[in-house]
Amino acid sequence: MSVGTAPDRVKYLFIWPAFLVVLTVSLFPLIYALIVSFQAVRLVPPVPPRFVGLDNYAQVLGSGRFWGAMWTTTIIVFVSVALQYVIGFTLALVLHHNVPGAALYRVSFLLPMFLAPVGVALIARMIFHPVLGPVNALITGLGFPTVTFLTDPALAISVLILVEVWQWTPFVVLLMLAGLQGLPAEVFEAARVDNIPVLRRFRDITFPMLLPLSTAVVFIRLIEGYKVVDTAFVLTGGGPGTATETLTLYAYYEGFRKFNIGMTSALSFVFLVVVTIAGTLYLVAAQRLARRYR
Amino acid sequence: MAHVNLSQVRKSFGSVEVIPPLDLAIEEGEFIVLVGPSGCGKTTTLRMVAGLESTTGGRIDIAGRDVTAVRPGERNCAMVFQNYALYPHMSVRQNIGYAMKVHGMPAAEIAKRVDDTAALLGLAPYLDRKPGALSGGQRQRVAIGRALVRQPEVFLFDEPLSNLDAKLRVEMRAEIKILQRRLGTTAIYVTHDQVEAMTMADRVVVMNGGRIEQVAAPITLYEKPANRFVANFIGSPAMNFFEVTVGDGEIALADQKLSLAPSGRATLAGRRTVTFGIRPEHMREGAHTARLTLVPDALEPLGAHTLIIGHVGEHRITAQVDPRFPAVPGQPCAVTIDMEQAHFFDPDTGARL
Repeated sequence: MSVGTAPDRVKYLFIWPAFLVVLTVSLFPLIYALIVSFQAVRLVPPVPPRFVGLDNYAQVLGSGRFWGAMWTTTIIVFVSVALQYVIGFTLALVLHHNVPGAALYRVSFLLPMFLAPVGVALIARMIFHPVLGPVNALITGLGFPTVTFLTDPALAISVLILVEVWQWTPFVVLLMLAGLQGLPAEVFEAARVDNIPVLRRFRDITFPMLLPLSTAVVFIRLIEGYKVVDTAFVLTGGGPGTATETLTLYAYYEGFRKFNIGMTSALSFVFLVVVTIAGTLYLVAAQRLARRYR
Repeated sequence: MAHVNLSQVRKSFGSVEVIPPLDLAIEEGEFIVLVGPSGCGKTTTLRMVAGLESTTGGRIDIAGRDVTAVRPGERNCAMVFQNYALYPHMSVRQNIGYAMKVHGMPAAEIAKRVDDTAALLGLAPYLDRKPGALSGGQRQRVAIGRALVRQPEVFLFDEPLSNLDAKLRVEMRAEIKILQRRLGTTAIYVTHDQVEAMTMADRVVVMNGGRIEQVAAPITLYEKPANRFVANFIGSPAMNFFEVTVGDGEIALADQKLSLAPSGRATLAGRRTVTFGIRPEHMREGAHTARLTLVPDALEPLGAHTLIIGHVGEHRITAQVDPRFPAVPGQPCAVTIDMEQAHFFDPDTGARL
């Protein structure tokens, strides 16, 4: 054995502890869940696990409730992320150009992000309460009939979107503002000297230069958005009926109301596949857009 | 009237006045260089001409039009920045043609102008590259192309060569100078490098603490600096200064007497003390010379000549001598001073006598 190969073997020994940690902490639960998703597991009443093949997956994919939850989640995510991006970028631009009192706005714009989503949902529930809420007080005060925000399917989804936008726009503001402040000032001064109008400056310079950041911000928000559960749980409980039931909320009900662990695991994996596909499609589209500028 | 005229232009940031009232008249087609140490207000002055910085007071005219309150884009200036300031996501062609495209110029005309400019600056092979794929010198050439393709009234250069390496800087400064002469466009150029200022300018504006110390042709700055600051700033290695006493056709430096040339005698008539300035390169033979003994502390052989860093009494002195001059650190030696090249300044005001 040559001298050079001895340390090569030793190095694997040093890698093993870290690998074990990763294995137990990250991969084991994932693999365990994957195994469970192929079994019939019921906690109440306790039944020994039984291998059922793809039955759980068939059940999930054949369930109208699953596709309903998928559709609801997709609507909420895409509409709210689009609004978050547009509003957030606009606010970031305003803050970047140092409107009077920008320091105050900067703090107050960020506040919603620091609140727990459950708290935000509770506040929203009070605000839109048909009897006690200030919104309905205003509406009836103006002489209109009471609006049942949380029991009308379309309105309930709108409120959920509104809450999502309210809470997560600050995240977009924060990152886009950082991006704006990182852009080289001279480029914009050059554009000013060259008499490029403000809107063209945004369209041709600011936006393309921030495109990579925009892509990342929207991506993070999409992934996060698909996991929305607490807001819907507190605000509407998925109702009326299952009109505002998101994928994670559905999984929660399946797993912790019905204790149907096998199917919940299958649901989670379908969910993982859906988010991965959606994410990949998005990244491909974003890259195509970015290539036009690169 | 001057092509670019600054009258009583002031600039304050909060309570700090960085430019006290400043007057400057620049003729059409002139190449003006603003030079001075860091923080002397040269860049602020340039940016006020560009409109990127507002004025606190005073008036700026470009081509006979008061532009003090006019937006940067409407002043018909083109600016070249130190960091090139190219649009990173556009090709060289798009960078150069962008402003014209936005302003609705026909595509054929844009293409022609871009091609002409690229040919002029040797950029033709790179037209379809992005700035990221260019070297520093090429990028700065694109920035210059973007400025001159617009055919502006005035070129503004804000330390355009500072980011380039020494060799490229020498090449580019000649190129810019030749280009400006060919186009005949008025140019204002900011630099902290006195060599750039001397080599490029028709007239140099030496600034210090927001004030203009002297406006003159490069050779005048060198031969007749208006005050001690200019004398010290222009020329390399810097001029030596000594506080000396005057008497009997001589000046006394430490305990040595240097005999004055006739012109110096006339200048110093009736004065007791004066600041005597002599450039290291004027320690040579001449029509009227004096001998000065100094103690070398270090020698810097530069090939063509050698610099002696030494002292006379407690004064530090730099002398430029022949490479074979017999000097040894620590051992006193005598150098010849061409007294006709001596400069005298008022010890209190620093003004040239």
